[in-house]
Amino acid sequence: MRRFYLSTTVLFWLLVTAFWTASLWLPTPEESLLLAAEKTYTPAELAKHATAANCWMAIRGGVYDLSAYLPAHPSPPELVVPWCGREATEAYKTKTKGRSHAPFADELLARYKIGTLASDQAK
Amino acid sequence: MPNRRFLALPLLVLAATLGPVYWALPEGLSIARSLGIVLGWAGCGLLLASLLLMLREPRLAQGLGGLERMYHWHHRVGMAAYAALLAHPLLLAAAAWPDGRQLAWQTLSPFSQGWPVWAGWLALLLLMAGLAATFERRLPYRTWRRLHLGLGLAVLFGLLHLVLLGIEQPVWPILGLAAFLLGWRIVRQDFGRAARPYIVHRVTPVADGMVEISLKPLADGLQAKPGQFALVAFFAGPNFRGCGEFHPFTVSASGADGEIRFGVKALGDCTQNIQSIEPGVLARVQGAFGCFLADRPAIPQLWVAGGIGITPFLAQLRAAPLDQPTQLLYLYRSESDAAFLHELQVLAAKDPQLTLRAVATGPTLPDLNALLPAAPGLAQRDCYLCGPPGMLVGLRQVLNERGIKPRHIHFENFEFR
Repeated sequence: MRRFYLSTTVLFWLLVTAFWTASLWLPTPEESLLLAAEKTYTPAELAKHATAANCWMAIRGGVYDLSAYLPAHPSPPELVVPWCGREATEAYKTKTKGRSHAPFADELLARYKIGTLASDQAK
Repeated sequence: MPNRRFLALPLLVLAATLGPVYWALPEGLSIARSLGIVLGWAGCGLLLASLLLMLREPRLAQGLGGLERMYHWHHRVGMAAYAALLAHPLLLAAAAWPDGRQLAWQTLSPFSQGWPVWAGWLALLLLMAGLAATFERRLPYRTWRRLHLGLGLAVLFGLLHLVLLGIEQPVWPILGLAAFLLGWRIVRQDFGRAARPYIVHRVTPVADGMVEISLKPLADGLQAKPGQFALVAFFAGPNFRGCGEFHPFTVSASGADGEIRFGVKALGDCTQNIQSIEPGVLARVQGAFGCFLADRPAIPQLWVAGGIGITPFLAQLRAAPLDQPTQLLYLYRSESDAAFLHELQVLAAKDPQLTLRAVATGPTLPDLNALLPAAPGLAQRDCYLCGPPGMLVGLRQVLNERGIKPRHIHFENFEFR
């Protein structure tokens, strides 16, 4: 069992190192992913996408289509789905008892941006 | 071992593993992410099973096939959990690989994640460090035991990782159960709340570096059968200070008035200190455990004892005359190590069913093949082996080579680390 422990531990750290090394060689993420189309959506349009299968959220002024990501979200659906079709900045900033999402989540979120939320005057 | 008891342990481990996996079974995700999630929950269930298997409760041990079997599974289940939990973050990172190598690394790295991932990493690092200490046999037993118990902290941090992820519904009960099992073990076993109070009544040197200690109960005594062992901690006396740690000792005799005797050989710091124990020292005893000589069939038997391994056989011979023709092969290094030899010779002279062969082997492992009875007679016997691990391995190999089926070979290692 000692041998099993040593081999699994060494393999684990080798793979962690491999992920880290690979990340250093990565070209920056494609601009196309980060530059989402700057289309504007009204709160009414946003509200039409309020189900787990069709889930848009407005966060910090951006509108995000999270339908494809929801199944991969670590929290149970009952925590996340109620925010579909809504302005969810506060929920995003205060998850797990007052703590905001990590920078990793911000980067992941950017990949799902489809536009911006129209201000009240624009409605 | 009855089939029910044989199956109880694997079924328990299977249920503990599959239960959380079934609850969290992902749908519509990539294979790598699904596997990462499944292995995370499987590791959580395996760790919970491993915690249950470290409890030293006689009834639980009886239901699961014996304490030694529980500890055997505790080690293997713990290692399986470790491997599953190492794979968990790697697979989640691999799932993010198609979206970019940087994203894969950020999935894995706690520096780009929040508290939930830090808690997960802390749990993994505690597991890693705790297991490293577990495999370090040169550590003093007390230090080793504390570091090993520290693995429980890893379980709690792992569950905290899930709570911080917002997965509260099934995790709080699991966290409660884990804390309960850890608390049960620490309070009842390590602090000795489940142990019975005894006092040292008599101490008899029986060989070089070996004493037989007779204990009398201060309350209800435990019922021990020949072949069983108990966990005993010795405390202070007028001129003696015990280490207060529970160590397994094999019962060498059990009296009707609750008196119980153990053979103690100096194998480490604590047992070396016990050689100078005196009457009046307080002790606590947990048990009894094991079923080494229980349910023996009515066929001729071969008993092979090495050194201190003579104690379970001695307990059986002291308890009652034998029902089956039995040959006892007693191996010891030299005459000064031959504990209880004179008493065994007297017992053999009185009991027509018992044939005793005592052999001084010298400091090295003898030619076991030459010492065992000839093959034709051996095939019709059940073989019971007790002695140092190296001798047991050698004996089992020789018996296997002679065609003795495993179900006719019975042994206990009495290994607890």
